[in-house]
Amino acid sequence: MDETLAEFFRRTILKIPMPEMMTVLKTWNFLSENQLQTVNFRQRKESIVQDLVLLCEENRASLNDAALLDIIYTQFHRHQKIWDVFQMSKGPGNDIDLFDVEQFKSSFKKILQRALKNVTVSFRDAEENSVWIRIAWGTQYKKPNQYKPAYVVYYSQTPYAFTSSSQLKSNLPLLGQALTVASKHHQIVKMDLRSRYLDSLKAIVFKQYNQSFETHNSTTSLQERSLGLDINMDSRIIHENKVEKERVQKVTQEIFGDYPQPRLEFAQYKLETKFKSDLNGGILAEREEPLRCLVKFSSPHLLEALKSLAPAGIADAPLSPLLTCIPNKGKNYFKIRDK
Amino acid sequence: MELANTLKQDGESRGGVLAHLERLETQVSKSHKNLEEPQDAQALEARIHELERLRDNLRVEVKERQARVKASTASVEPDQTLEISEQEILERKQENVKAILQAYRFTGISGKLTSRGVCVCISTAFEGNLLDSYFVDLVMEKPLWIHHHSVPVFIPLEEISAKYLQTNTQHFLFVLCEYLNAYSGRKYQADRLQSDFAAFLVGPLQRNSLCNLLSFTYKVKLEGQSFPFCARLLYKDLTTTLPTDVTVTSQGMEALPSTWEEQRADHENLFLTKPLHQVFTSFARKGEKLDISLLS
Repeated sequence: MDETLAEFFRRTILKIPMPEMMTVLKTWNFLSENQLQTVNFRQRKESIVQDLVLLCEENRASLNDAALLDIIYTQFHRHQKIWDVFQMSKGPGNDIDLFDVEQFKSSFKKILQRALKNVTVSFRDAEENSVWIRIAWGTQYKKPNQYKPAYVVYYSQTPYAFTSSSQLKSNLPLLGQALTVASKHHQIVKMDLRSRYLDSLKAIVFKQYNQSFETHNSTTSLQERSLGLDINMDSRIIHENKVEKERVQKVTQEIFGDYPQPRLEFAQYKLETKFKSDLNGGILAEREEPLRCLVKFSSPHLLEALKSLAPAGIADAPLSPLLTCIPNKGKNYFKIRDK
Repeated sequence: MELANTLKQDGESRGGVLAHLERLETQVSKSHKNLEEPQDAQALEARIHELERLRDNLRVEVKERQARVKASTASVEPDQTLEISEQEILERKQENVKAILQAYRFTGISGKLTSRGVCVCISTAFEGNLLDSYFVDLVMEKPLWIHHHSVPVFIPLEEISAKYLQTNTQHFLFVLCEYLNAYSGRKYQADRLQSDFAAFLVGPLQRNSLCNLLSFTYKVKLEGQSFPFCARLLYKDLTTTLPTDVTVTSQGMEALPSTWEEQRADHENLFLTKPLHQVFTSFARKGEKLDISLLS
């Protein structure tokens, strides 16, 4: 086996945390059960990795096999990447989309290979008719850099694609073109939506985050749930502003619903507005130019945090629509200008 | 004996008196007991009689009270039973209506009024099997709009609602129902093929989100030989559960012997006219007739 390939295998396997090693290797399904049993997993990690790399050499593992292992590792650790969302659109004239995944893969690969001589493209089919694509970029003269690949996740017959933010931004237009043509769309646009949580991004753009519906078969009423907190309270405790609390609960429930919020880590607002002040005079009030400022809200779980602001008494209910429109509009980057 | 006698003789002055006193004492206590026992027995007997009398009195009282209660309920009964039955009737009616509302989902389209509109439930089915349900929460305002839904993203909901939602809501629901039922039916067939007839497949079943393109290689036995065929099913009409285009080709070989060519054409026709899993069921039955084992 080529030295660089062996090194790539070594580094890829070394990345895998020991508790997950067996699961990942079994998912990869490249080394047989018998082969795995020959490895002593009680050694130091470096020795285990060495043994595994030797087994890969025995099986004549190719670059594609290594790329597949890399995809599987990333699927297990998708939160380590930051994902962008692209939206594609078709022109007028609605042809039924007869999506052939093999055609898509070959078309995608051809477009990239025609443009860049050196590029490694690998595919792995995943759940819900989706495909994970791994692209290692090279140039006309340099071999592909296997250590900084870009990932694309595409669910067939949908207009959305999720890409891991690649450091090599110059390749983005080519990637967009390959996706658009291979999936038989005409245009592609980057959405103002970004997060580590791929599944939350999917829930937002596929509008899957609110799955509670009123039916005749449902047993719990909404009223019961919202008052549940009060029932458990000590009867010696009286809420002075009970009416207001209930109003806040109701408004929060109307806006955020009863479902778990999709997970985002931040919302960013770029303001380009003129300064508005009640005070007469002042240096800033006279400016013609708009002020530029950036407001960023960060949280381990932004939407749940926003949902709890009004009930906690920190903010007035209802919250600003700029904050509450995030999942609905599928945006967490905003540019606000004077109308 | 002599000792005892001597003791007795001696005791008569001292031991004898003491012994005599002892004897008298025991006699007295015995006689007391004899006196007491009959007294205790008497007391107990008296007590028993008392209790028996009390018991009889209580029994009489209980009977009297029961009779009184019966008399009173007998007189009041007609009115009370009327009230109970009215309430019962209403409750039964309410439960009946609730059950009917719940059962409406078996009709395919059902709904529940919400505070701002209606939540429509489309329950899909194929060949008598109840499949997934999909919801559309409509807000009754002008213009009508969809608050949220559980329709999969690859179903052209935006197109259908752009065409019909405002002008003819009923038609909108029927068209959406068509699309969802057809999708459910196609998905059901593909799932059945993958799970029940995996033995016939060579390699994986290639499918997509809408289940409107299926590509697979399968083996069928004829005259003791098993032969691989590649099938490609296209469903260009998203409102149907049968393919619009079918191509069955032989893997690799250019010219087929005539019997195989017949089979190939026959299979193409089968895939066009029968649901996918039924075609494979018929393959399985044919295989059973010709050969005991299904696997080559």
